[in-house]
Amino acid sequence: MTGWNEIAQYTVSGLTTGAIYALVALGFCIIHNATGIVNFAQGDFVSLGGLMMYTFLVALGLPVLLSFPLAVASVALVGALLERLALRPARDKRVVILIFITIGASILMRGVFKQIWGKEALALPSLSGEYPLRLLGATFTPQNLWIVALTLAAIVALGYFFQRTTVGKAMRATAANPRAAVLMGIDTERMKLYSFGLSGFLGALAGVLITPIVTVSYGVGVMLGLKGFAAAVLGGYGSFVGAILGGLALGLLESLGAGLISSTYKDVIAFLVLLIVLFVMPSGLMGRGERSRV
Amino acid sequence: MSGRGRGFFLGLAVLAGLVVAVPFVMPNPYYLNVLNVVALNAIVVIGLNLLIGYAGQISLGHAAFYGLGAYISGIFTGSFGWPPWPTMLFAAVSVGGLAALIGIPILRLKGNYLVMATLGFNLIVNILTVQLDDLTGGPSGYSGIPSLEIFGWVINSDLRFYILVWSAALIALLLARNLVRSRVGRGLRALHGSEVAAAALGVPTERYKVKIFVFSAVLASLAGSLYAHYYGIITPKTFDIFFSVELVTMCIVGGLGSLWGGFLGAAFLTPLPQVLHFVEEYKDIIYGGILVLILVFLPEGLFTRLGRLPWLAGRRSP
Amino acid sequence: MTQPILALEGLCMNFGGMQALSEVSFAAQAGRITAVIGPNGAGKTTAINCISGIYRPPRGEAYFEGQSMLGLASHQLARRGVTRTFQNLQVFTHMSVLENVMVGLHGVTKREFLWALFRLPGFQAEERQVMEQAREMLEFLDLAEMAALPAGQLAYGDQKRVELARALVSRPRLMLLDEPAAGLNAAETESMARTLRAIRDQGISLLLIEHDMSLVMGISDWVVVLDHGCKIAEGTPAQVQAHPEVICAYLGGAAEAGADA
Repeated sequence: MTGWNEIAQYTVSGLTTGAIYALVALGFCIIHNATGIVNFAQGDFVSLGGLMMYTFLVALGLPVLLSFPLAVASVALVGALLERLALRPARDKRVVILIFITIGASILMRGVFKQIWGKEALALPSLSGEYPLRLLGATFTPQNLWIVALTLAAIVALGYFFQRTTVGKAMRATAANPRAAVLMGIDTERMKLYSFGLSGFLGALAGVLITPIVTVSYGVGVMLGLKGFAAAVLGGYGSFVGAILGGLALGLLESLGAGLISSTYKDVIAFLVLLIVLFVMPSGLMGRGERSRV
Repeated sequence: MSGRGRGFFLGLAVLAGLVVAVPFVMPNPYYLNVLNVVALNAIVVIGLNLLIGYAGQISLGHAAFYGLGAYISGIFTGSFGWPPWPTMLFAAVSVGGLAALIGIPILRLKGNYLVMATLGFNLIVNILTVQLDDLTGGPSGYSGIPSLEIFGWVINSDLRFYILVWSAALIALLLARNLVRSRVGRGLRALHGSEVAAAALGVPTERYKVKIFVFSAVLASLAGSLYAHYYGIITPKTFDIFFSVELVTMCIVGGLGSLWGGFLGAAFLTPLPQVLHFVEEYKDIIYGGILVLILVFLPEGLFTRLGRLPWLAGRRSP
Repeated sequence: MTQPILALEGLCMNFGGMQALSEVSFAAQAGRITAVIGPNGAGKTTAINCISGIYRPPRGEAYFEGQSMLGLASHQLARRGVTRTFQNLQVFTHMSVLENVMVGLHGVTKREFLWALFRLPGFQAEERQVMEQAREMLEFLDLAEMAALPAGQLAYGDQKRVELARALVSRPRLMLLDEPAAGLNAAETESMARTLRAIRDQGISLLLIEHDMSLVMGISDWVVVLDHGCKIAEGTPAQVQAHPEVICAYLGGAAEAGADA
């Protein structure tokens, strides 16, 4: 018999992972809007975030308040480097070629991570204590709260960035109509660079937040990246609101599916639902159907 | 036209000659084993190239069809004692049917949505092969698959399988080339260029996309069946999404929309991890690095570079 | 009067609340050139897209030779003898000019996958015939010398002729032409007019949408005027030119049309 408490518990863990997926999905959207491609190295930004945090916090013994920004900033830099070194020089700008460049970069990055941090899973302490809290029948840790709170903060900050700042507006203009953006004097190449930096930032944030719960190793980003991609598709690729909804929906779906139906098949359930949604709504929950003018 | 047609057959003859010569020059079973895997991959890549390079539809799920072919062949011959060749046909028909069933809704999707849907399909199939362990043997794999046999000639050595699989690969290449240079091939390339325009000229675009998807899935299934009988043991890991990605990478590195390119992509990328074995530590870094470099600097594919040789110019032939 | 080749009855189409076509009715006679004109945004391309199976109009009917044609997919219409060209060129840029035109015969040929894969009997004969017809069409439209070139490398005017050849090669009963003269210079427009007349004289009915008034008035047998999704006039070129509402619509839209050209 499944009680209310259990459902509440599944909801809490679903929303926690959902928030992480949403962060990853937002990273996918930002790069898509600026460049039109899927960045398959997005998941590696997540693992790199966790790994860098480990280095600063555990290996170097820096305080959390210093390690956190350093980890996130360094991954943002790696994101920007990826754009500058691998995508900018590409001779052929066809989307499929650029996507597979990111796949090659992802393999390369994982090889580098393995060299630097080894194959073992590394653990991080929670941001603040393990003291469990109880609310409405569900038990959760401060880390759960940190994840939800910092994800919300990141979303609010992103909203402010895109709505209020000059660079944010320029990025939105680039997404809406690259050619018109160029004519308005916007440096769209620079916007692509920023989009990779920003996605690196979001991915790293997700990595730093999730690591205390699941640990980190060089390859954990693959599945997280895939889930984030699925969340972005589910929400409607390119839509920020869709990415957030898609992330939360996927997180809940997995956690409720695992808890109420079968934990072995939680991914099967999640992807099956995703496929069914796509069959009914071919451009996701919030996506606008594309119609080419003929 | 006829000149180009001769070019293809000349290329095919050269390739066939190489295939015949190799066992005499390098009888080492280790090399033959590598070449056998090249041919298996090439069969899948040929079909995938028709789907991606010609019809313009991406799939990151073909490892699932490869795996289903392997598991259906393996389980029905191994557990139920079905005869291998009819089982292989049964697998191909079942996989083709499944591809049609999921292809109809999936191929309505575009771009990233299509990428995700095919990936999702592959993930589901892969998880099922791991979890349904009563049937599939679970993560450690399914073993005890019998070898193939042609009129009493048991295909139980690398050399014998080499003869079989390379014949199959050359036939697949010939069939694919027949398809490309036909009304159907033109229809597929037309819908790649502009779906509305192709439809306005009478190309049933939806049906064509599904048909080529099914054809490529059937080729993958056949290759999977051959794989199962060759190794005698199959594991889910062989058919995961990473293999799907690798297959598409072979298409792109070889040259999208070039059947020869697909062969070259398979021939180049299949042995690369083994070649890099001696630098085990840095394998991923070098492999990823090579991939990035090729895609950044030779995006039209390896074959296009070689293809400047006049007699090979069968690419995108009129 | 004989049965029209194409008849629209009360056709309506809207996009998210914007009424693109409201209650449009007109008929095109067989063997004639019928033109649909109107200022930008009048609904001309929408009308063609409805007829050719790209949009599904919520209300109204369209008949091709007396039979309902709404609900048929584009490729089914092509098989029945309705083909079209596009306002924004939709040439298959990566295929040769000859191949582009060969695709035009897709709807009237039938050898499918199995025939192609195994070169079954009948396949080669059909291929030869397709090639022959396509080459004849290239001759007719002065494209023979460019047959082997990738269509994307051709000049704009030549690409327009490739589209025309593609739509014409199957000998359709009705061709829908979306702005065949857009982007052409005066000499090219003149030659396009001659070509269109020649096509009509072969007995193929044409429905064209056009901005270029000299072309429309010079070759059309019947002209339908749309404005803001409604039909405001129809008649012979002379009748339409004298129609007060048409003059008003065009003068009102003149600045916009001028800026667009």
